[in-house]
Amino acid sequence: MTTNSLAPIVTLLQQRAAISSEWMNEVLRVWMRMYPGLVNEDELRRQADALLKELAKLFSEHSGETPPDIGANSALGEIARELSADRAKKGFKPADTAQYVIALKNVLTQHLVSTLNETPASLTLCLRAVDGVLDRLSLLTFEAFVETRERVIAQQSLSLVELSTPVILLWNNVLLLPLIGVIDTVRARQLTERLLESITKYEASVTLIDVTGVPVFDTSVAWHIMKTIDAAQLLGSRIVMTGISPEGAQTLTKLGISFANVISRATLRAGLAEALQLVGRRIESTGGVHK
Amino acid sequence: MKIPILRLGKILLSSIQVDLTDADAMQFQNDLVNKIAEMEALGIVIDITSLEVVDSFMARVINDTAGMARLLGAEVVICGVQPYVAMTLVEMGRDLIGVDCTFNLDQGLEIIKERIGMRGDATMIEGEG
Amino acid sequence: MTTQPTNASERMPILDASDIVRARGVARQVAGRIGFGLADQTRLATAVSELARNVVQYGDDGFCEIADLSDANEMRLGILVEDHGAGIDNIDKAMKDGYSTGGGLGAGLPGTRRLMDEFAIESEPGLTRVSIALVRKRS
Repeated sequence: MTTNSLAPIVTLLQQRAAISSEWMNEVLRVWMRMYPGLVNEDELRRQADALLKELAKLFSEHSGETPPDIGANSALGEIARELSADRAKKGFKPADTAQYVIALKNVLTQHLVSTLNETPASLTLCLRAVDGVLDRLSLLTFEAFVETRERVIAQQSLSLVELSTPVILLWNNVLLLPLIGVIDTVRARQLTERLLESITKYEASVTLIDVTGVPVFDTSVAWHIMKTIDAAQLLGSRIVMTGISPEGAQTLTKLGISFANVISRATLRAGLAEALQLVGRRIESTGGVHK
Repeated sequence: MKIPILRLGKILLSSIQVDLTDADAMQFQNDLVNKIAEMEALGIVIDITSLEVVDSFMARVINDTAGMARLLGAEVVICGVQPYVAMTLVEMGRDLIGVDCTFNLDQGLEIIKERIGMRGDATMIEGEG
Repeated sequence: MTTQPTNASERMPILDASDIVRARGVARQVAGRIGFGLADQTRLATAVSELARNVVQYGDDGFCEIADLSDANEMRLGILVEDHGAGIDNIDKAMKDGYSTGGGLGAGLPGTRRLMDEFAIESEPGLTRVSIALVRKRS
């Protein structure tokens, strides 16, 4: 380690408290303004300290001409990934997340320039090393940021799917499944699972499936609905379909799909009447004002 | 492993409570069919609430048993198909089970009695008994 | 092959019909431990049941290996079923609905493929390997 050409960086990083404080001041100046309430200063300082410690370790263990490399699985990589994943979850902008590493680079560069201005050869070497390492760190944090964001988005679309397939208990033993929007394999699987659970839970002897909100009936949509119906019938529920459009009826017939075991009614209103009759109930006028 | 088959008047009632080996399933089919013939049963209710896996083999045993029972003049209802079992069956292929199904034993019995009530031979037997 | 044997795996011999019941029980258990929902547990147990039955009916001296291949992003359960029987003459035919040489419904292999996310089969006299996997993103 004695002949380490990067020794000045190691020396610099050993004044951890000073560097950390300068670095954090710069970061906090922006973040406190942009994300008040999301920034935990103590935690941030602790993280900075840990990161600097790892960085010092990296440079001191290294003794070559080429800049040291940071693996994604190294301790340093781990810290960086964790930090930016956390920021992505909290909704930081990408630029503000990137600024974290850039700020550190600025601080280190300034210090190196002022201490090594007598020895330009050593300065160049050290600057190149700092550049290399921190650029790599930048990439890692950015990668982690994007990954986390993508995961958040995927989760949101998942909960959207769940939201869009409610199963409604319409009356004792009568369920309503209003189908709305595009029905693909994943969604069909989910809504079938939910419907079957509900049928069992409420012992629904009749299930209304309203397809008014299904824009297009093609083979695959019809196939999915058919499987859902089959499964519901295996549990012992009768199916009443409502809201098939004239185009839908034409398409289905041309596709050779007859929904043979299913009662079909033009409107949800008619379907409800049918369903109530199947469970031995009826809606009656009570002679109120709105006749 | 012998699956008990209970007698309720002219109805036979059986509940499969354990995961069956293939041999158990065939034994059950055999027992049930013989019992139907022996007592001239009018209705069969098979409860499969406890079956957590119904693969194509078990589906065939259930279908075949129902078919044999019909040939022997009995109505058949299966009850208690688990939601995930139903889902798996329709995903594997439609029509794996082509028997009427109900939620539970209660409803199964109700439906069977209703069907038997509509039969010509049911009133005949009652009238003479 | 979609399934590589790993450390976190369980291997069971499939010799007679009682092994079918055991294998699907283990598949369900492992799936539950990994975090698969009840619907997926049932799919996996049913798939293992189908494959194990094929070994008992047609194969000879087979085994079933159930491996947890999950990582941080997804749950993945891989299953390899291998036997040393006569092999399948015509795989394309065997994968068609309603085709059976053993008196079954002919729904076993094509049904299993529909239940799983990944399915691969290879067969020659003396060695048949079917590997399947169910994959779910972690949420």
